[in-house]
Amino acid sequence: MTVDADWTIVVPVKQVPDADDVTIDPETGTLNRSDAPAVLNAPDYNAVEAALSLRERAGGEVVAVTMGPPFARAVLETAVALGADDAVLLTDRAFGGSDTWPTSLALARAADELDADVVVCGEESTDSSTGQVPPGIAAHNGWAQLTYAEELEPRPDDDELVAVRDVEGGHERVAAETPVVVAFEYGENEPRAAGLHRKIYAETEFEPEEWSAEDLGISEQVGLVNSPTKVGGMDTADPVEREQAVVDDVDALSDRITEVTADD
Amino acid sequence: METPDYDNEFDAIVVGAGLAGSAAALAMANQDLDVLVLERGQSPGTKNVFGGVLYTPTVRELVDIDDAPLERYVAEKRYGVLTETDETAVTMRPGEWLEEPHNDSYTVLRGSFDEWFAEQAVDAGATLLTETTVTGLVREPGGGAAEGRVVGVETDRPDGTIRAPVVVVAEGANSLVSEGAGLRDHHDREDVAVAAKEVLKFDRETIEQRFRLNGDQGVAYNYFGEGAVGDAVGGGFIYTNKRTVSVGVAYSIEDAVASDQNPEETLNDFKQHPAVAPLVRGGRTVEYSAHAIPEGGIDAVPDLVSDGALLAGDAAGLVLNNGVHLEGTNMAVESGYQAGRAVAAAVDGDDGSVDDRALATYPEELADSFVVQNLQHYDFFQELAVEDREFLFSELPRALADAETEYFAVDRDPKEAHAEAAKDRLLDAAGGYVGAAKRAWKYRKLLS
Ligand SMILES: Cc1cc2nc3c(=O)[nH]c(=O)nc-3n(C[C@H](O)[C@H](O)[C@H](O)COP(=O)(O)OP(=O)(O)OC[C@H]3O[C@@H](n4cnc5c(N)ncnc54)[C@H](O)[C@@H]3O)c2cc1C
Ligand SMILES: Cc1cc2nc3c(=O)[nH]c(=O)nc-3n(C[C@H](O)[C@H](O)[C@H](O)COP(=O)(O)OP(=O)(O)OC[C@H]3O[C@@H](n4cnc5c(N)ncnc54)[C@H](O)[C@@H]3O)c2cc1C
Repeated sequence: MTVDADWTIVVPVKQVPDADDVTIDPETGTLNRSDAPAVLNAPDYNAVEAALSLRERAGGEVVAVTMGPPFARAVLETAVALGADDAVLLTDRAFGGSDTWPTSLALARAADELDADVVVCGEESTDSSTGQVPPGIAAHNGWAQLTYAEELEPRPDDDELVAVRDVEGGHERVAAETPVVVAFEYGENEPRAAGLHRKIYAETEFEPEEWSAEDLGISEQVGLVNSPTKVGGMDTADPVEREQAVVDDVDALSDRITEVTADD
Repeated sequence: METPDYDNEFDAIVVGAGLAGSAAALAMANQDLDVLVLERGQSPGTKNVFGGVLYTPTVRELVDIDDAPLERYVAEKRYGVLTETDETAVTMRPGEWLEEPHNDSYTVLRGSFDEWFAEQAVDAGATLLTETTVTGLVREPGGGAAEGRVVGVETDRPDGTIRAPVVVVAEGANSLVSEGAGLRDHHDREDVAVAAKEVLKFDRETIEQRFRLNGDQGVAYNYFGEGAVGDAVGGGFIYTNKRTVSVGVAYSIEDAVASDQNPEETLNDFKQHPAVAPLVRGGRTVEYSAHAIPEGGIDAVPDLVSDGALLAGDAAGLVLNNGVHLEGTNMAVESGYQAGRAVAAAVDGDDGSVDDRALATYPEELADSFVVQNLQHYDFFQELAVEDREFLFSELPRALADAETEYFAVDRDPKEAHAEAAKDRLLDAAGGYVGAAKRAWKYRKLLS
């Protein structure tokens, strides 16, 4: 492997409200995002792990990128603690109200700016879960895309990335030319724990770079006015009444479970 | 990727961001020490089980508690003695408790309070790392200690060892780190109580009506006798929070092991006692937990400083738990604070050298404080309680109930006859005038 072949691996990571603390406003049906602390979108742990593992095999560096308000830097710290070399925060009032189109445009421009060879995204976010951002990044930059990837095999000398993809009824192995955007399937690898010293560094000393819409040259293409999605309306679904029972011991519990599953 | 090495970048490491740990971190950060606090929970307080009334004299010394997440101040205390069917209780509502600082007694939910308290330490300059469990202490030969000096900690993270001149261990009652490192012996069974607690959800109004409360007022009820925890040595408690009520039992682990009831069953019985049931009826259980409480008194307190490591709070067994008092929070904060001050005086921030004489002021200061004084003062009670358990937890409550029934009996006999019979019943239980005098002497310190 030559030094030239070292890859720049960009990982877009999203901050989402901690699902444990999120509430839904019963009046408007929208998420009370502000109540809940922002955490790293769970599938993005798999994306970071996949990126770090690519770096170990192909060489190069991993750069995490997030688009969000200033406090979104917390998820960049998480990525750096896990092992990302560096991170960039895309933050600007102009981004406010952006849907998946401008979000993926901003991320695409940032990936281009960073000279990315590979972009590794999570499968989808836990708060909006459109899954549109990774293909969006590929489309904006005219790069290849590998969605629902379960395994990655780097071939830096050939400027290729091979992925095992989950398709209906089985798997397929696909090779794509770099630069390429990956959407890594949720739960398909085991994210590592952050090292102690790395975590201290990430939380105390590390400062991400900050880029504005203007830095990316897209001030006129982002924000609410440039978001084609229109939300028609929202409804809350009433939770299904669940039967509750208290049992005395494990045996009784096991009996109940057998009973209930036998009914199906 | 170049990862900086933080070995000896911090002046001290604190194990555990509970009350003792955060107080220690605050005291050190206030003296410009670089402190690293390691907490295994996702955030401080998430792993904490607690009754509880937080006693705040030392907390107030360290921080401004005006914006602390306090639930209610204790406006009423009750001590109830229960047989299986009766209650005899003393209720107190001194007017002074209604005035600030409310006798420094507040109910809190530790999940929010501990998080806030740790934040105060971080604001003062400490570094807090959560989801990081300390698995052991690092020792190095030398420093005059046979097993070597404590020079850092090991954690459950990759690349997980970090060094610092001093380590303060404030890991609470389940003191695996200090035991593993030989800083203390395993808690003896007779020196530990087991506690089971439930948090029940109500609306504010129900709580305020049921317990006769205005605004931020709250109650702390303590119960003992066989109606509280059967024939075990211990008691039950009820504390009001804003929208929840904490109800629980705490009793000697030895009794728990000997009994055919588990703590959850004991708690259920307590909740069904005729004097208790109406207070907790209709609440939805939002939390159930069990935890240990050290209750070995002063004799079970290990060396507080050894080989460059300090113990504080429950990890050092600094809890007063004798039936009348269940106080660990104030001792945890005070001991953490004193430990932190000693470390600040001992560590040279420039070269990392440690002055062991300055560290040794920690146990000295603590010996002069209410922490050790109270433990010593009430030390006699724990032993007596075990010795006299039959009398204290079963005969006395029954005699009291019988005597009251007798004294207040409404029938066609003259009142005097009832008063006489009531007196006889009490004297009988106490062993006559001589017995009563002896008991009074034996227990005099409980109220002095
Ligand atoms: C305050 C607010 C207002 C919003 N208003 C609108 C609106 O008016 N109309 C609308 O359609 N949507 C709106 N959204 C939703 C938001 O635009 C989408 O969440 C965002 O575009 C990403 O889409 P997604 O979450 O479905 O990502 P997905 O496509 O499901 O995410 C897949 C992967 O893409 C990457 N990724 C996604 N988002 C980011 C990001 N921000 N930074 C870095 N990486 C990322 C991650 O790797 C993630 O795992 C709003 C969101 C917020 C917080
Ligand atoms: C049911 C119950 C009711 C009580 N009621 C009262 C009351 O009403 N009033 C009162 O004053 N006292 C009461 N107490 C006692 C009081 O709760 C304790 O004395 C007090 O919490 C001790 O504080 P601490 O900081 O020493 O320990 P803790 O509060 O237990 O804090 C220890 C911290 O260390 C962390 N930790 C532990 N091990 C590790 C590790 N290896 N690595 C990293 N972190 C670790 C824990 O997660 C925790 O955050 C009660 C106790 C119980 C169990």
